Amino acid sequence: MTAGSPGSTDTAVTNQGLASPMSASQGSANTAAASPVVYLDHASTTPVDARVAARMAEVLNSATEFGNPAAASHDYGGIAGSLVEQARCQVAAAVGATSSEVVWTSGATEANNLALFGVAHYYRERGRHIVTSRTEHKAVLDPCRELQRRGWQITYLVPDRDGLIDPGQVAAALRTDTVLVSIMHVNNEIGVVQDVSAIAAICARHGSAWLHVDAAQSVGKCPVDFAGLGVDLMSLSGHKVYGPKGVGALLVSERKDGPRGAHVQLAPLLYGGGQERALRAGTLATHQVVGMGLAFDLAASTSSVETARIACLQRRLWQGLAAIGGVLRNGSATHSVPHLLNVSFDGVEGESLLAAVRPHLAVSTGSACNSSLGEPSYVLRALGRSERLSESSLRFGLGRTTTERDIDTAIAVLSQAVSRLREIAGTRPEKVPNLGTPG
Amino acid sequence: MNGNESRRRYNELTRRYFESPGSVGELSGPGVFRGAAGSRDQGTWVQFDLLAESGRLRAVRFLAFACPHTIAVSAWIAEQSVGRAVSATLPESVQDLRNRFAVPIEKMGRLLIIEDAWRAAAAPAIDYQG
Repeated sequence: MTAGSPGSTDTAVTNQGLASPMSASQGSANTAAASPVVYLDHASTTPVDARVAARMAEVLNSATEFGNPAAASHDYGGIAGSLVEQARCQVAAAVGATSSEVVWTSGATEANNLALFGVAHYYRERGRHIVTSRTEHKAVLDPCRELQRRGWQITYLVPDRDGLIDPGQVAAALRTDTVLVSIMHVNNEIGVVQDVSAIAAICARHGSAWLHVDAAQSVGKCPVDFAGLGVDLMSLSGHKVYGPKGVGALLVSERKDGPRGAHVQLAPLLYGGGQERALRAGTLATHQVVGMGLAFDLAASTSSVETARIACLQRRLWQGLAAIGGVLRNGSATHSVPHLLNVSFDGVEGESLLAAVRPHLAVSTGSACNSSLGEPSYVLRALGRSERLSESSLRFGLGRTTTERDIDTAIAVLSQAVSRLREIAGTRPEKVPNLGTPG
Repeated sequence: MNGNESRRRYNELTRRYFESPGSVGELSGPGVFRGAAGSRDQGTWVQFDLLAESGRLRAVRFLAFACPHTIAVSAWIAEQSVGRAVSATLPESVQDLRNRFAVPIEKMGRLLIIEDAWRAAAAPAIDYQG
């Protein structure tokens, strides 16, 4: 959807439920109301689904649903508590977990921190070695660095040039003192999907290494089956799935099968009222939790149709960008979700490229969490991309609001910008081989 | 959104010369002097071509693999220099250019690359009698 184009007729079928925060016709106070900017940064965040926003507003405005969900001594608390439990069931159902495995957090970052610090501290007498990869989100890498500072040893696996971790790398990295492996499901910059199931099997055979998976980018984009994958811990985010910001969850497996004969234990980060099975103290934000529950419910019911539509759009986008010439697709084209496309443009300077497209497109260079640093993407550097190509890369995040018109606009804007900047730079790059064309 | 962030990052003059830089390209033939500085691999490269005639600059062209500030400043210098006497110094000091284009302090090195490229082109042109 072109933001601020209320008359647009080619909006996707699934748009109907969106809150249309960028639609002037909604009378929104959002400054983007009149913006012609095409939003292609759904990997950064998604607009809140209108049905989710409406339900959250109901809870906030309700005279009966405002209670503290932990207050079991009266009906106000009971009503709020039941809303929380209903949302817990919705999230669990969407990802193949049981409701008692859902621990609410403030988002995926907190969930990642809880998983990493929680396991590290609970099992610190058993071992102080963790395995992760160089292409994880900062919300995993930074806690790992902090643990390193505190004396833990971290092994950072290097992916292949497509961004994939060979499960054999994990097996080779495991030690007798390894307590945790943390590998993300869908990469937030390049969209590649790791073979989590195979890694889980390796961890289970190892016997003492638990597996944490950051799945913030997965829900609604590819099937997520917490139990089926054999994962011990999984981080989820509300706002990546057309839900509210400020809420997420950590799934904590209760499975006791397998060679370990026990389920994972965590030391909490927060102490207080003992909420969330004493793993995450603090009064729950009922409206946030309800919003995330509904968002996950909606994602589960629409994702297969939506994924097929997005795949067509991504193919269209890649074909259009590839025609510009001198472009490289970053990340595997076959082991990836269609919602993300990361492309490097040879022969143009990165800051100028972003400045040239910024009036027309909302895209990002690498992760939104890193783009403010003005540094080349460490994910692309880990794939072996040069600093120059890493800097001149753009991440396109497609979502429910994305239309064919948006894709065509993006292609036209990029084609013009790249051509102009190459003319200014005096670069006439030969067409470089693409790493793979989807479809 | 609405380019607000872009406006915060680049002033009006920078945006104007970045979006529509005149004088892009190369010159050739007698009386043309070329100078370049920086490197594409390092992220900033600037080249000036000067056409000198009777001690004055008849035409100036530039190429830049660089950030918007560097492109804008290079374009402005190329535009302002036409008709002036050939000189190894820029039409304005680096500090004045920095103020005019609101170049962040961390990009001062890029302005010095522009200055180096200009000097490399202009110095041999000063004594040219063509």
